[in-house]
Amino acid sequence: MANQRILIVHDDPDMVAALHLPLKSAGYDVLDASSSQEGLQKIQEFSPTLIILDAILETASDLQISLALRNPAPQSPYASYRHIPILVLTPSHTTASLRLGSDEAYLPVDDFVDMPINPDMLLNKVNALIGVGD
Amino acid sequence: MELSHVLTYLAESAAIALRADAAAVCLLNESGTHLSVVAVHGLPAELLDRGPQEIRSCALDRVALTSRAAVVADGQHDLLKLPGQDFRAGLCTPLIHEGQPVGTLHVYATVPERFSEDDAVTLRPLADLGVAAIAATRAMAELKALEASQAQFIRVMTHELRSPVTVAQSLVRSVLYAGDLSDRQVEVFTRINRRLDGLENLINDLLDLAAGKALGPAEEGPVVLNASIGRVVLLLQPRAEDKSLEMTFQACRDQLVIRGTEEGLDRIFVNVVGNAVKYTSPGGAVAVSVQQVDGQAQVEVADTGIGIPEEAMPHLFEEFYRAPNAKKTEVGTGLGLAIVKDLVERYGGRIQVKSTVGVGTTFTVTLPLLSTGAV
Repeated sequence: MANQRILIVHDDPDMVAALHLPLKSAGYDVLDASSSQEGLQKIQEFSPTLIILDAILETASDLQISLALRNPAPQSPYASYRHIPILVLTPSHTTASLRLGSDEAYLPVDDFVDMPINPDMLLNKVNALIGVGD
Repeated sequence: MELSHVLTYLAESAAIALRADAAAVCLLNESGTHLSVVAVHGLPAELLDRGPQEIRSCALDRVALTSRAAVVADGQHDLLKLPGQDFRAGLCTPLIHEGQPVGTLHVYATVPERFSEDDAVTLRPLADLGVAAIAATRAMAELKALEASQAQFIRVMTHELRSPVTVAQSLVRSVLYAGDLSDRQVEVFTRINRRLDGLENLINDLLDLAAGKALGPAEEGPVVLNASIGRVVLLLQPRAEDKSLEMTFQACRDQLVIRGTEEGLDRIFVNVVGNAVKYTSPGGAVAVSVQQVDGQAQVEVADTGIGIPEEAMPHLFEEFYRAPNAKKTEVGTGLGLAIVKDLVERYGGRIQVKSTVGVGTTFTVTLPLLSTGAV
């Protein structure tokens, strides 16, 4: 798993700590950003293999990483990062995660993980998106 | 009813009752220092844009309000300094609500000495009715604003309360997953985990119950049933898989639309289908179906679970009630079905249950249709 860097963009350090445990134990390198701005900086600096976004931070901030990366505008400085898979952490107890993927609230992301996280499910989805075993 | 409509109707009614050429309603501001024209009949609409006038400069109104009696007047009135207006007679009656002056009602005529004390008497009950209507309209508006702010409060609190519990659960699950803990640590974390799950359930249930009561009919709209139920089934799929349960969903061939809210539908079916998954042992099955029966939408959730004992049936939908066999199986608060019933009935529907202990349970939710359409 050398060079497999995962960037977590989340403003709650406790949640970040919870994510670090299973990801690190699976052999991934983990980077953090506590804001969308910082997140985009680190994407440019480190070219992560996967980005994990907090749905609440992502949808509430003025700068949406998913849109910035997947924005079709040719002048976008983030255009070269559009291929990086994006996993979104979604609030528990609602079907909001499934609605996020619908037309009305379009967020160009690849998969969702409900919170509280189930470490097995998290790793399954991370591995699938990174293409482990390819 | 909107306040402006009520006020215009009051002006109109006054003019008609006294066969006057024009009428106007003026309301006082909160501190009682300024009067504004809020409705007119037979007068230019520009008067409404005039803005608040100091009560000192409205002699007629001042007299009416302080004496709490109607004033008959002749000649031009202060309020009506507009070119083209040629009123020679007027009557101003105060509007009093629960002993407090709230404004004035004016009628005007082009004929001098048109109004008398008798007219003042005629106008009194109309003025009183008008005030009552104004008070009711205002109270309704305040109530709606209050409900809206309550619903907003609930939404904010929902997030604030759920969030720390979710994070704590994630941390505990992650540390248990890491696998490098002593037996004692595993035991303690497992206990903490269970308590956190219970806390999560309690918060969700209480907030659902409160939100269900706070969300008004104004928020309801058309909801597509197949899509809604489909999402709930998808959401619960992982939990079913964890328990090796076979979960199936049979959508209705036609698009059924009912009146409600997405959130409300979520709560109803996350609870009912969630219960089916919760109370069915590994290897069992949960079958969810949406059909159109007798012109209504019918959602059936059938499981092969532990079932509900006879003695529990009459109490099933009571708040905090948990059947004796449920307590042994799973952590729960007993609020779920109370919430479900509250919401189903709010949407004009019915919920029924059939069950046999050791065999399974079937919940049937029936909801009136807004419309149907072939897919």
